Amino acid sequence: MAGYEIDPCVKCEEAMQPYLDRVLSDAERHEAEEHLANCSSCAKRYRFEESLRVFVRKCCDEQMPPELKQKLASLRTPL
Amino acid sequence: MGETDTNGARKVAAEARNRVRFEEEALELSDQVYRVARRLVSTREEAEDLVQETYARAFRSWRSFTPGTNLRAWLLRILTNLNIDRGRRKQRAPDEQPLEEGDYFLYNRLEQATRDGNVDEERVVERLSQDDIVGALSVVPHDFRDVVVLVDIGDFTYQDAAQILDIPIGTVMSRLHRGRRILKRELADRATGGS
Repeated sequence: MAGYEIDPCVKCEEAMQPYLDRVLSDAERHEAEEHLANCSSCAKRYRFEESLRVFVRKCCDEQMPPELKQKLASLRTPL
Repeated sequence: MGETDTNGARKVAAEARNRVRFEEEALELSDQVYRVARRLVSTREEAEDLVQETYARAFRSWRSFTPGTNLRAWLLRILTNLNIDRGRRKQRAPDEQPLEEGDYFLYNRLEQATRDGNVDEERVVERLSQDDIVGALSVVPHDFRDVVVLVDIGDFTYQDAAQILDIPIGTVMSRLHRGRRILKRELADRATGGS
């Protein structure tokens, strides 16, 4: 990914979402990691974003009511 | 005649076995289906209705599922279609889309709100509550929220989300990107009190 030589932190911010989604190419990932290794400001923000995603998922882990599970089973075709 | 009868009976039995297997596999996924449904709609009652309707329809049309493909995505596709059919889209107000900020907006706001400006980035999320997260997600406009919920909570790939919502993968990516930024802006307001 071009651009790290111009404004590396802006470039790194652009790469953040695709980086965490693991959709960057190997070359793009290496470039981002190289910058992160030398820039504590960006590295902090990446770590924050990662924790945030884990936290969002945890907060949305709502159990299905057991009665609903029974209702769904009762929708099955009788044998 | 006996042979034809036996063949017919075998076929019926094989189909019954396939159906039973389909139903069992679908039911095993119900917790995951519910978790996604719960965040796509506002209330628990709506989510329960939606999941029930989804399973009723899935059990009726089980023959249209291709074995070996992604059953979870197939179920979610039924669910999102039903959700759209319910007229939920009427709520849309394109002119009132929340402003989105940069990707680091939430972090920067939390950092500003910290007295010494020294944020422990792995603990700062603890300042957000479950209510903050759930509340912020519920105000993200539907088109964006659908994608964020499928990818970030349902753990679907971009490709799966594109198929479920019947939109191009590029649209999935741009909505996901914007949806996450809108979510962070909403979270920032909740965590640091107003904008």
